Formats: sequence, C-alpha cells, structure tokens
Amino acid sequence: MENLVGVKLAYLIPLLPLIGAMVAGFLGARWLKEKSHWPIWIGVGLSAVLSFVLLFGMIGKWPGRAVAVQKPGEEASLTTRVLSTEFKAMAVSVNWYQWIEAGDFKVEAGALIDPLTAVMLCVVCGIGLLITIYAAGYMKGEKGYFRFFAYLGLFIFAMTVLVMANNFVLLYLGWEGVGLCSYLLIGFYFEKPAAREAAKKAFLVNRIGDFGFGLGIMLIFVIFGTVSFFGNGPGTNSGVLELAIPGGNFLGALEPWKRQAIPWIPFLLMVGAFGKSAQFPLYVWLPDAMEGPTPVSALIHAATMVTAGVYMIVRCGTLFVPNSAAMFTIATVGTFTAIFAACIALRQFDLKKVFAYSTISQLGFMFAAVGLWSPVPGIFHLVTHAFFKALLFLSSGVVMHAMLGHLDMRKMSGLRKVLPKTHLLMLTGCLALAGVPIFAGFWSKDEILVSAWVYNKGIFLVLLFTAFLTAYYTFRLYFRVFQGPVMVPTEPAEGHAHGHDEEHGHEPVDEHLQGQAHAAAEHSHEPNIMIWPLIVLAVGAALAGFLNWPEREKSLGGFLGESPSLILAHLATDARYNAAYVLPVPFGAEEIHDAAVRRQMHSDHLKVALLSILAAGLGIYSAYSLHLKNRSRGEELVARYPGLTRALEAKFWVDEVYQAAVVEPLRGLGRLFYAIDRYVVDGFVWLIGFVPQLFGFTLKLSTQRGSLQGYAVTMLLAVVVILLVLFL
Amino acid sequence: MTVLVLQRYLAVGAILFVIGLIGFMTRRNLIVLFLSTELMFQGIAVNFIAFGRYHMGQGFFHGQAFVVFLLVIAAAEASLALGLVVLLFRRRNTLDADAWRELKG
Amino acid sequence: MLSLPSTFSLLAASVLSPVTILILCVVAGVGTVLLLPGKREATIRWIGGVILLAALLIFIALVVRQGAGQRGEGVYFWLFSGIAVISAIRVVSHAKPVYSALYFVLTVLAVAGLFVLLWAEFMAAALILIYAGAILVTYVFVIMLASQAHSGATGQPAEGAEYDRVSREPVLASAVGFALMGVLLFVIFEKSEGMVRGGNAAVAGDAASEGGAVRALGAYLFSDQLLTLELAGLLLTVSMVGAVIIARRYVAEGAGETRPEVIVSPATPLDDDPHSIPVYGTRNPVAKAYPET
Repeated sequence: MENLVGVKLAYLIPLLPLIGAMVAGFLGARWLKEKSHWPIWIGVGLSAVLSFVLLFGMIGKWPGRAVAVQKPGEEASLTTRVLSTEFKAMAVSVNWYQWIEAGDFKVEAGALIDPLTAVMLCVVCGIGLLITIYAAGYMKGEKGYFRFFAYLGLFIFAMTVLVMANNFVLLYLGWEGVGLCSYLLIGFYFEKPAAREAAKKAFLVNRIGDFGFGLGIMLIFVIFGTVSFFGNGPGTNSGVLELAIPGGNFLGALEPWKRQAIPWIPFLLMVGAFGKSAQFPLYVWLPDAMEGPTPVSALIHAATMVTAGVYMIVRCGTLFVPNSAAMFTIATVGTFTAIFAACIALRQFDLKKVFAYSTISQLGFMFAAVGLWSPVPGIFHLVTHAFFKALLFLSSGVVMHAMLGHLDMRKMSGLRKVLPKTHLLMLTGCLALAGVPIFAGFWSKDEILVSAWVYNKGIFLVLLFTAFLTAYYTFRLYFRVFQGPVMVPTEPAEGHAHGHDEEHGHEPVDEHLQGQAHAAAEHSHEPNIMIWPLIVLAVGAALAGFLNWPEREKSLGGFLGESPSLILAHLATDARYNAAYVLPVPFGAEEIHDAAVRRQMHSDHLKVALLSILAAGLGIYSAYSLHLKNRSRGEELVARYPGLTRALEAKFWVDEVYQAAVVEPLRGLGRLFYAIDRYVVDGFVWLIGFVPQLFGFTLKLSTQRGSLQGYAVTMLLAVVVILLVLFL
Repeated sequence: MTVLVLQRYLAVGAILFVIGLIGFMTRRNLIVLFLSTELMFQGIAVNFIAFGRYHMGQGFFHGQAFVVFLLVIAAAEASLALGLVVLLFRRRNTLDADAWRELKG
Repeated sequence: MLSLPSTFSLLAASVLSPVTILILCVVAGVGTVLLLPGKREATIRWIGGVILLAALLIFIALVVRQGAGQRGEGVYFWLFSGIAVISAIRVVSHAKPVYSALYFVLTVLAVAGLFVLLWAEFMAAALILIYAGAILVTYVFVIMLASQAHSGATGQPAEGAEYDRVSREPVLASAVGFALMGVLLFVIFEKSEGMVRGGNAAVAGDAASEGGAVRALGAYLFSDQLLTLELAGLLLTVSMVGAVIIARRYVAEGAGETRPEVIVSPATPLDDDPHSIPVYGTRNPVAKAYPET
C-alpha cells in the first residue's frame, strides 16, 4: 500500500487545486482574465488523474479476500471472528507534518488513504473536473470570471482535504473550507440581494451545524485524548475510531463521566452532518443556495459538499453504530427529509429549485441508508447521485443559458425540438433519478430500499412512496419542459448576464420576435464545451449502477468493505445490523453458501426491485397523464386540494417557522443585549468619562477665558508652585 | 565680588523681573504689555551680567554674550510685536488686550 | 574677598528670614494693588505708592543690615538700583503709556549704570544705544500713532483710554507676582551659600581690569560665538522683513514680467474675517478657498 505511486503523490491531490486557485486568484484579475480557467483545469485535472491513479493502484493491490461463510443463527460469530483474527485493512495513514502541537493536543496534517477516501476523491476530482470544464463555457464573459475559478479551486482543495483527512481537526478544516467556498460561490452574484441573502443564510445555518460538530470534536478530544482517526494506522489501537469500539480495554478504563458522555458524541457530530448535508430541519439553506451559478449548484450543492455529512458518518462508523438511538435518529431524520423534500418538490416551478429539493430528498435516502448501517448502499447512492444530479443541474444550466436566464417551467415547453442534445442528456438524468432500471439511480436506490426492507419495514414503505414521488416530480419537469408544444420565453430574465450580448452582438433584438421557436433556436446553441462534460456525466448516470453489480466479487461494495472504518464499525455493530447480504462484501453476500440465506436474499432483492420499478412506473405514468397528455387535469387536481397546494407551495411554512422560532427571538435577544450594552454598560462608561469632563468644563468656564494675560497668571502660578516644591 | 554683593544684584534683577511680570498681567494696553516684557528682559540681563562678574574667567564673557543675544531677541521681538500691535489696532481700533479673547475652546 | 559661610548664614537667618520676606512681600503686594491704575481716587494710589516705597526701604535697610561689617558696594549701586526699581514701578503703574515708556528709559539708564558697576561697559553702552536709542523710540512712535488715531476717532478725554486707566485683576496678579518674588528672594538669600565659583578669576579679572574688557569680549564673540552671532544677525534680518510685511498697508503682487506691481487689496481689511488675511501668491487673496469655509 505505502509504495503505491498514488499514495506517495497523495499530497499533490489537495495541493494542486490550491495552487491553481492561488494562481487564478492572484493573477486572474490582471493577467489571466479570460484564461483564468486554465490553472484550475490543470490543477483539478492533475488531481483527478492522481485520484484515479490512486484508485486503480489500490484496486490492483486488492486481494479480493475470501471471507468465511456466515450462517444464519450465528450472528454473534461475525464479531468474534473479526476480533479474534488479526485483520488487515487496506489503509495507510500518512503524516506530512505536525500541524498543531499544544501540550497533549497534537494534530498532524496527514491523509488516511483507504478505499472510501479513494472513491470519494475520484468523485470529487472527477466530477469537479467535468464541472470546471463546463463552467468555462457557462461563465464565459461574466464579471469576476477569475474569481469564480479561484473559488472553485479553493473548494476542490477544501473538499479533498475533507475526504483525505486522517483526523477530526483536519476534517473540520476541510468542512469549514467547503462551507466558506459554498458561501462565496452562492454569493457570487453579490450584486443581487437575493444571492447575498442566500449566501448569508447558508453560512448561518451551517454555523448551527458546525457548532455541534465542533463541540463533538472537542468532546472527542476530551474523552479520547486524541483526534486522530486511526493514530499510527489501523490496527495499532491508537486512534479514536479504534478506541471507541465497545468492549475494548480503553473504554473500560475510562472515568465514569467520560463513559457517560460518549453517547453524546454521535449526536453532536450528527448535527454537523445535518447542517452540511441539508437534512431536516437544517435543510433550509440549500434551496436558496440555487442563487449561485449553476455549476456551483451542480458541484457543491448536489454532487460533493452536501454529501460530506454522509461521508463523515460512514468514516466515523465506530462512533455511531454502538449508539442505536443515534442511528435511529439518523435513519428517521433521513427518511423524513426524503419524503418531506420530495413533497415540496412536487409544486416547485423553478427547475433548479426542483432539483434542489430533489437533492435534499436523495440525501435523505443516503442518511436513511447509513442510519440503518448500510454504508455501502449509502456511499453507492452518493456516487451515482453525484453523476446524475450533476448532469441534471448542468443540463438545466444549459436550458437556462438557452432560455435567456429563465428557469420557470411554466414559461417553456417542448424544448425537445429546440435543444435536442440537452433533451437527451436531461432524459438520461431524469431516468436515473426516477429509478428506472439499468440507469444508475435504480441500483443504488434499490440497495437502500433492500436495507430498509430488511431492517425496518416502516422506513421502507416511506422510502418507497418517496421513490414514487421522485419519479413523479422528475417526469413532471421533463414532460412540461421538453415535451408538448414548443414555447420559449422571448424576454430575457431579470439579472440574466451570460455574455449573450457579446456572443450575439450581430443579432438585432427584434429578430427574436420574428418567431418564437426560430428566435430561440437561433439563440440557443448548445456550446460543445458545455455538452461534452455532460455526455461523460450522462454515461456515468446511465452506467454507474454497474459499479456495484451484486454478487460480483470485485464490486464497489467489496472494495469499500476493505476500508478500516467499515470493518471496525462492524465490530462495534449490535446484533440488529447483521443481515449478511446488506453488509459490505467482506462480511456478507459474496460467499453466502447457505441455501436458505441465498434464497432469502434473492427473494428480498427481487421483491424490492419489483416494488421499486412499480413505484417509478406509477410516478412516470401519473406525470405523463397530468402533465403531457392533458395538462389541464393537473391544474384541476391542484384546484381540488387548495389547502394541500398552499402548504406545498409555501414549503410547509418552514421558513416562516424559522423566522418566528429562531430569527425573531434571536433578534429580540440581540435588541435586549444592545439596549443593555447601550444604556447600562455604555452608561457606566459614559459616567466615568463624564466626571472629568464636568471637572474640565468647570475649569474651562472659570479659567479659560481667552485672555492671554489670564493664561500668563495661570502659568506663573504653576511656576511658583514648582519653585516652592523645589526649594522649600 | 562676594556672594553678598551677588545676592544684592540678583535681588535687583528679581525685583525688576517680577515688576515686569505684574505689569504684563495687569495692564491692558498692548503697548504697555510689551514694555513690561522689556522690563523683564532688563531683570534677566542684570542677572546674567552679575553672574558673569561673580564667576569671572570665561564666565564673565559668557554672561555678556548672553546679554548680547538677549538684546538681539529683544530688538527682534519689539519690531515684530509692535508691527503686530499696529495690525491688531487697525483691526479693532483699540489697544485693549481684552478685545482679543478668541483663544479659548 | 571675604567669605565666612557659617557666620554669614547665621547672620542672614537672623535678619532676612523667610518670614520677614513673606511679610515684606505681602505689604508690597498691598501697595502695588493700591498703586496700580484703577477706578480709585488719586490719594489712594498715592498711599499705595508710599506703602510700596516703605516696603522697599525696609527691604534695603534689611539688606544693608545683613551685610553690615562686610565689604559691600558703593553708593552708586544703591542709587542705580533704587532708580531702576522705582522707575520700573512707575512703568507698570503709570496710566499713560507715554510716561511708561519714558520711565522705562530711566530704568534702562539705571540698569546700564549697574552694568558699568559690574565691569560690563560695552553692555552698558549697547543697552543704552539699543534700548533707549532704538527700541524705546519705536515704542513711543507707536504709542503716539495709536493714541492719536484713537483720540481722533473716538474723541477720548485727555486722561487716556479706559483700558489704560483700569488694570485687570490687580489683586490676583499682585498676589501671584509677589509670591514669585518671595520665592526668588528666599532662594537668593537663603539658598545661595552653596554656590560655587568657576573659572580662573585672576586671569580674566586681570584682563578685564586692565581696561581691555571690551576688546576681550569682542575677541570672544567673534571667535567662540561666531556662528551664534551670525545667527543672531540673521534673526534680526528676518524679524525686520517680517515687521515690514506685517505692517504694510497694501499688498503688491507682481503679475508677470511685463506688468509692474498691481495693488490687489488692502493687507489688513477692517472686517473681522480671519480668512481675509492676505495670502501671498494668489491673485485674489480674499477668494482663496479654505477647507473650512
């Protein structure tokens, strides 16, 4: 492991985007200008290459280990087996330098490189590269072009630090770094008030989450005395994630209050994950974050940053899984968020808003999966979701680009004929999101549903219904925008500034009015630089599902199963989570020789797959009948349930509840503190200042009368006093 | 020259100086004001010369040189001050020092 | 050249004690207050003058008593210093500026006499030339100019302006002034026994007593103090230029080579706007823009 090229060069993966960002940021304004994307392209591109070198190097070293059979009724044996055998995970912890050293508190800047990191790095850098290429086309001619790319590079840096970190503090650095970049990029159009407000909202809501996360890290240090994940390496029993395994010597020797405090750690970390990954009730920032440029929505608010919470929970599995209350909370919140956001998405008209709520909903799926301790389905869904959601966002970016900045699906229709390539790409994404077989989303969602089916039928039913809603709203959007009669907006949207004036300077404005379709077709080209990355993403969205082809030895699940985080988490798992065939491969399905278990597994998979296909089909059909075949029926349906419609359109009044329950009390508190500060504290200070002022004022009235001779008298008096003091 | 004699000269200088000072503080005519300062100069000059005489040696010349410069300063001061007095008199048409009371905060 | 510090200080303590000096200063202060010009009758001022004179005489008597038995100075010292002090009092206390100036000439002359007693003949001559001859004449000119303009403008009565006839805060000023005098005299008579005498008295004393004092002073000034002396000359030049500029009635400004001087505006406009003080180098000084206007 240590000798792999990818591992040796791993430090370049975060470094190169950072250098690119610095070059673009410092030189962009003056010298690079329209070429500002090059440093980022090169930096992120090289990072992506290195990530894949790392991934394939690790796959090459992957032993494809055969693991002992697990028989039903022998659940306990799993734990005992792993504990008794000396396990050797595919992981290496590299320390580059001592970052912080203050007494007992030591933080190394270093990387933990294991399958989970490698997969995450490939997603971050690979999709990041595609999106930076796309962005060069999308942002062309924008004011602050270099700034955009500098932020993107900085984001990739922070995100790679986040997924590579080998300790909590470095993870926190990346965590805050991506938050900062998210803030900067949401507020990229800071001249727009809405963008400013959205950026602030994202930042503040994330502060709530990060506060919990920070407290969690502090608690970890207080209890474990270290913040490193695995110390000197997995198996040395020196890192937090190993010490936290129940039954070990370390926990037994702890003071009672520390032992009692341990269950709070996952809850605190969870708050951070909920904030970053937009789970209920901290999801409110994500829909507003769509004010940022579309590539940002795709990269940060769909594919990478928002999945950090999922990654973190999987990484810290050993802290979470012994605590069934925390796990249940995660699963419940994830499930609730999934259906809640899906419901809101039903009545959204803005393309990006629909996808934003869809993202929240899909993140809910992932949280449900990790909450049920099915990390492989969770990460698998993360990967596929990154592909198809980035594809969907970027496609809607093309639509927006072509439709003069419009994103309202009521203003456009039949774009199939206007944007043929985008139509196909968008269709691929929609199929993947809706969970149509063969496409990526089907496989990953199916695995999550299987876990839910096995562990908790209630969650399963909710998620299945959510899958139906997902298919419905996805295809509602698709049918409305891309099918039906052609209708395109003719007036540019407010604040639409994508450099069309430069590109189409030769085209007089009234030509747009000659015929709508013609004008739009003339206008809406699909630049190659924006289409090619989408094609790559579409291939991914279509085929990424085969990464975790069940019952194939070398699949994503098996690879991830080599991660020490997952292996050790299974040591800590309580017996509820021991259904063999939803566990990662080293513990599960590959070598299930027991016929009964195999039969059970096949029947479960089949049932769930059928139900999921049924849900998706139903959803697509209802969307078809309501939004393509007879669009007025949709409106009739809306008219029949005005209360429900209003609730959905108001997004269940969550923002208003926040306003009333959080913002206003805080503002009142702020006013109170202001008043105390202004009148009590300042009053006291003012009084202290007032006494000498009064004294001076009296002196001024009595002695300072503007008469030169009067001053001479005063001076002389002082001289006399001084002489008296000197000589008497 | 004895300390006793020096004391008497110094006393004369001090008396002249203080009388000038009192004049500076009490008189309101700008010209008399400056005359009073000249009186103070006289007192100081007596002091310098007396000390020079008392110390003799180089000190004798030091004291006198100081008075030379003192006379120079007095002359310069008188010329400028009188010019200013004329200017101020033209402004307010009075020589009253109390007519100029802007020097306060 | 007798010096007996122990007996001297004993003697001094018995005659010129701080208490005596304090009492004398208080008496002299009261006298001064009464003497200073004010809205009092002339007799009261006379009484003040008498009190002041009495205090002065008592002081002289005490000083003489203190130095009894030692070699003091001749009658000329008492004469010159008496004239100097009394005329100085008159300078301060006379209600008419012209008389003040003339009394000041008297003071200067007396001080010059004291200088001669102190072997500083050159300084005495210079003092008379510069002060009595030059400065005082200027003062008198200005006084006459001002009082003439004044009486011409407002028709004041012959006894002078109100600000000449009434002094301001005589009590406070006298108190502070005589407090200072008390401290000074106390220091002079009580604290001077430790005073060291520096230099080679014999050499300079010989040189001075040979009548070559003026020559020696000249040599000293133009060798050791050359730079200072030149700087003093420069200072005089500068002050002369300054006085010329201050006192000029009109501002003349050369507007280029082709035109002669152009009178722009009066140097001292009679309005009270400080910004109308002429600024040289601008065509219209009044229009010069100041930030605060």
